[in-house]
Amino acid sequence: MSAPIISVRNLTKRFGEFTAVDRLAIDVAPGSIFAFLGANGSGKSTTIRMLIGLLRPTEGSIEVDGIDVIRHPRRVRDHIGYMGQKVSLYQGLSLHENVEFYAGLHGLAGQELETRWGALRERFELSDAEAERPENLPAGIRQRAGLALATLHRPRVLFLDEPTAGVDVQSRSLFWELIREEADAGRTVFVTTHFLEEVDYCDWASFIDEGRLIANAAPEDLRRRYSDGYRVHIDGESAQELTTPAVDDAFFAELESLLAVRPGASVRIDTPSMTDVFRRVIAESNDTRHGQP
Amino acid sequence: MSVQPSLRLRGLRKRFGKRSALDGIDLRLEGPQIVGIVGPDGAGKTTLLRSIAGLLEITADEATVLGFDLRQDVRALKAQIGYVPQAFSLHRDLSVSENLRFTARLHRLSDEEFERRAHRLLSRTDLLPFVDRPAGALSGGMRQKLSIANALLPQPALLVLDEPTAGVDVMARDEIWRILEERRGESLILISTSYLEETEACDRLVYLDEGRVVAQGTPAELRAQVPVKLVRAWGNDPRAIAKAAASLPYVVSAQVRGPFARIEIAAQRAPGEARLRADFAGLASRVRLVEPAPVDMESALLFLSRKQAPRESAA
Repeated sequence: MSAPIISVRNLTKRFGEFTAVDRLAIDVAPGSIFAFLGANGSGKSTTIRMLIGLLRPTEGSIEVDGIDVIRHPRRVRDHIGYMGQKVSLYQGLSLHENVEFYAGLHGLAGQELETRWGALRERFELSDAEAERPENLPAGIRQRAGLALATLHRPRVLFLDEPTAGVDVQSRSLFWELIREEADAGRTVFVTTHFLEEVDYCDWASFIDEGRLIANAAPEDLRRRYSDGYRVHIDGESAQELTTPAVDDAFFAELESLLAVRPGASVRIDTPSMTDVFRRVIAESNDTRHGQP
Repeated sequence: MSVQPSLRLRGLRKRFGKRSALDGIDLRLEGPQIVGIVGPDGAGKTTLLRSIAGLLEITADEATVLGFDLRQDVRALKAQIGYVPQAFSLHRDLSVSENLRFTARLHRLSDEEFERRAHRLLSRTDLLPFVDRPAGALSGGMRQKLSIANALLPQPALLVLDEPTAGVDVMARDEIWRILEERRGESLILISTSYLEETEACDRLVYLDEGRVVAQGTPAELRAQVPVKLVRAWGNDPRAIAKAAASLPYVVSAQVRGPFARIEIAAQRAPGEARLRADFAGLASRVRLVEPAPVDMESALLFLSRKQAPRESAA
């Protein structure tokens, strides 16, 4: 990849005897959507807090958008947008008032703010919600508002911590379209989620377990490594079943030649779910730790 | 089991000030089963669950839960219900086992029965190593598991769980579902969830919107109601495929899902197979395979939510 926009080396955090994060090393490509996954208590939140300059590491280095986060934790905040699990909108203020407040923090005002917020309000479907207070808004709209605020000052990197937790399926779908558009606009998105099917919206996924990185690859490569592959059923006369680790050009060529001699046949493909991939990643990590082959 | 796990609601209503949260709920559930309560945010799911658990004053033409009338004194009813709210509600300064023992005493379980049940629930949820830890010192996922184990301890006829797996990782969700499934044949379990995989695991689903029951049935029945055909278009550039497919007149939605583009086609306007293949072959990006797929819960839930939306977003 071209120079990574986030670069982490040997990142370690100890709380007394307990090692929460253990020599983590990751690179995030600019303009990519990077999923950072792990069980509760795996060191995920601790890692994110270090990446955004809220927690000082015990050892290691972190660079975000060219800034040494450990030496300049406050400087990094101008370059990033953050959205936590509990969306940090001030209750008692309307959404519009929240926008003005956040804009003020980043020195965004006047026409520049109007233009920027106008575009976000439109795209994120927040016009009806603008005069409301966050406590009166449904979760899906609050989450979109949180994302709009995080990206208001056009940061180069967005950190989103479980942005779709508790959000219904329709709002989640729209939310991920908006994330994809942010990435298309050149922003890098570092995201965590418990909805593993969302990993298929991402360009890369890394897994942390008990403070260590245990998998780190593009979603398709994770499927290749941590599943029994795609099961392909060719139905009709001369029915056939085959398994393939990846649905790529070689597979399509093979499939096309099989279908050529089976006119009228139909094809069904069982795709390994990212949820099952995750289960296997963790299971193999547990086996390794307990000395199983 | 002395009470029948059943529920009969007719015209159930609940207002908070000017706002109508439940606007005439009609729902009848008989017998032990797992029932998923689904629907968009703000539909009234939490209000409905709290009402059924006897925590809110409601009005209704009929409101019978486990044979008790919700509109009367609900104290006897509440003793038969296990309720798990969204926010952690056990004692943070008591340990895991102290919390369970407290519940056991409330329900007058014998010591042997308590030991037996507690041990089983704690080992199934991987909480045995933490029995002496104060509940407040557990991680979020472990607190959820404790809340559920605690609600299951008295083996209630009705179990009401409000988003018990929100923010919980896959392994803990699997453990939670394993202990819920053990009660599937004994208790009526109402669970609200936003995980699609979990909706598939329910015996029955109830879809709420704007304080009303809009649809209910088995997952298969809800899927069968959707006037949409699902197709997966495979190729080297699923994003380009989705973008191009969105412009076809019969396509309702086109989204990238990893290696393929997930395409919903309006059933009434669906072209024949030959035409479908031809249209896709003619798209800007090279489609290698057009695979018909069975309608899934995502399509079912999206369809139900679109039906209610006052303004359609552009496809």
